Amino acid sequence: MARVTTGITSSHIPALGAAIQTGKTGDDYWGPVFDGYKAIKDWIKQPGNMPDVVVLVYNDHASAFDMNCIPTFAIGCAESFKPADEGWGPRPVPEVIGHPDLAWHIAQSLILDDFDMCIFNQMDVDHGCTIPLSMMFGEPEEWPCKVIPLPVNVVTYPPPSGARCFALGDSIKAAVESFPEDLNVHVWGTGGMSHQLQGPRAGLINKEFDLKFIDQLINDPDTLAKMPHIEYLREAGSEGIELVMWLIMRGALGDKVKDLYNFYHIPASNTALGALILQPEETAGEALDPRVVHSGHSLATAAE
Amino acid sequence: MTEKKKERINIHEYLAEFDDIPGTRVFTAQRARKGYWLNQFAMSLMKAENRERFKADEKAYLDEWNLSDAAKQAVLDRDYNAMIDEGGNVYYLSKLFSTDGKSFQFAAGSMTGMTQEDYAKMMIDGGRAPHGVRSIKGGY
Ligand SMILES: [Fe+2]
Repeated sequence: MARVTTGITSSHIPALGAAIQTGKTGDDYWGPVFDGYKAIKDWIKQPGNMPDVVVLVYNDHASAFDMNCIPTFAIGCAESFKPADEGWGPRPVPEVIGHPDLAWHIAQSLILDDFDMCIFNQMDVDHGCTIPLSMMFGEPEEWPCKVIPLPVNVVTYPPPSGARCFALGDSIKAAVESFPEDLNVHVWGTGGMSHQLQGPRAGLINKEFDLKFIDQLINDPDTLAKMPHIEYLREAGSEGIELVMWLIMRGALGDKVKDLYNFYHIPASNTALGALILQPEETAGEALDPRVVHSGHSLATAAE
Repeated sequence: MTEKKKERINIHEYLAEFDDIPGTRVFTAQRARKGYWLNQFAMSLMKAENRERFKADEKAYLDEWNLSDAAKQAVLDRDYNAMIDEGGNVYYLSKLFSTDGKSFQFAAGSMTGMTQEDYAKMMIDGGRAPHGVRSIKGGY
């Protein structure tokens, strides 16, 4: 049987890709970010940790979808997905290879579970999908696992509620568990954390909110899922609403989880960045050492 | 038949609250409708041949689109706040600043009234604090 073994969260900002392309991953600005991710890169290569398939939850940033088609929840069922040209040429990364059997199985199961998914058989994937892959796997010739892209509308209002996202995660878990092949499946929630990219309030960062969000995501997701959109907007900035996608990841892990790794950094370009490894408590592996890493402004490196 | 919903969000209250956030224009249906062509113009810059035509003669390229004069002027001026007033959304408009070889940090900074240097420094110092910019009415 297939199982959701792991949930990972990651930033997906284009600046991370630019840092890789221009060889800046070790400089004063980007060094701490890539150091923080190195622990995840090393962990995922260990035996048993590498996923067969990642259900990669992200939002399309007006790349595959324009104003003519705004799917709330979509799933990519194609054999492969090309990196999108977002105005500066496609990111120089491998094509994303799908898993049509599992993707179609999940799509059908979700619809039967009252999630009326939008199915895509041709779709380019933008930085929302490919940056997390680069952050986890570096610059390989081919990505080391299959990927099922699951784009969520968080651009045109209203996006789905946190509660709906959390419930979608639970349905993804059930769908994966009814797939007969023996597969290690990850669900990744990407985007966030607090950031605002528009208007005079651009540059908003809310460390207190972010750290509380991480804590609740791990320990009390039922309460967190009830947070209304207005609170995300006020507290985490207009683009911080991407955080609802983390609840999809969390919903796919069941009631209790263990955080194997918990990295938070301010700032990555305009954003606060959070990268977590979570596993269902019953099947959780060893935590990384250090388990908690905070870096950036006014965040003393904490280890426990 | 599953149970009927007991509580529903009041859409009018839901939308009205968005106007209470200082310095922020939420991309509502109303803005999406107003900005339809501006955003579609921006999307067209995802094709290299369109980027070349646009760069060769911006005004002529803009004239091919069903844009208001204000929207055209905002694009020519690279005034991102004005583009957002015209219904633009930053992820759509990113195709324009990417065509210019500019980053999200540049575009976001340009909307704050700060210099690029001051904006970059604010971010390195931990970003804009949320205190006092959460709610206009509440003042918190
Ligand atoms: Fe994003």
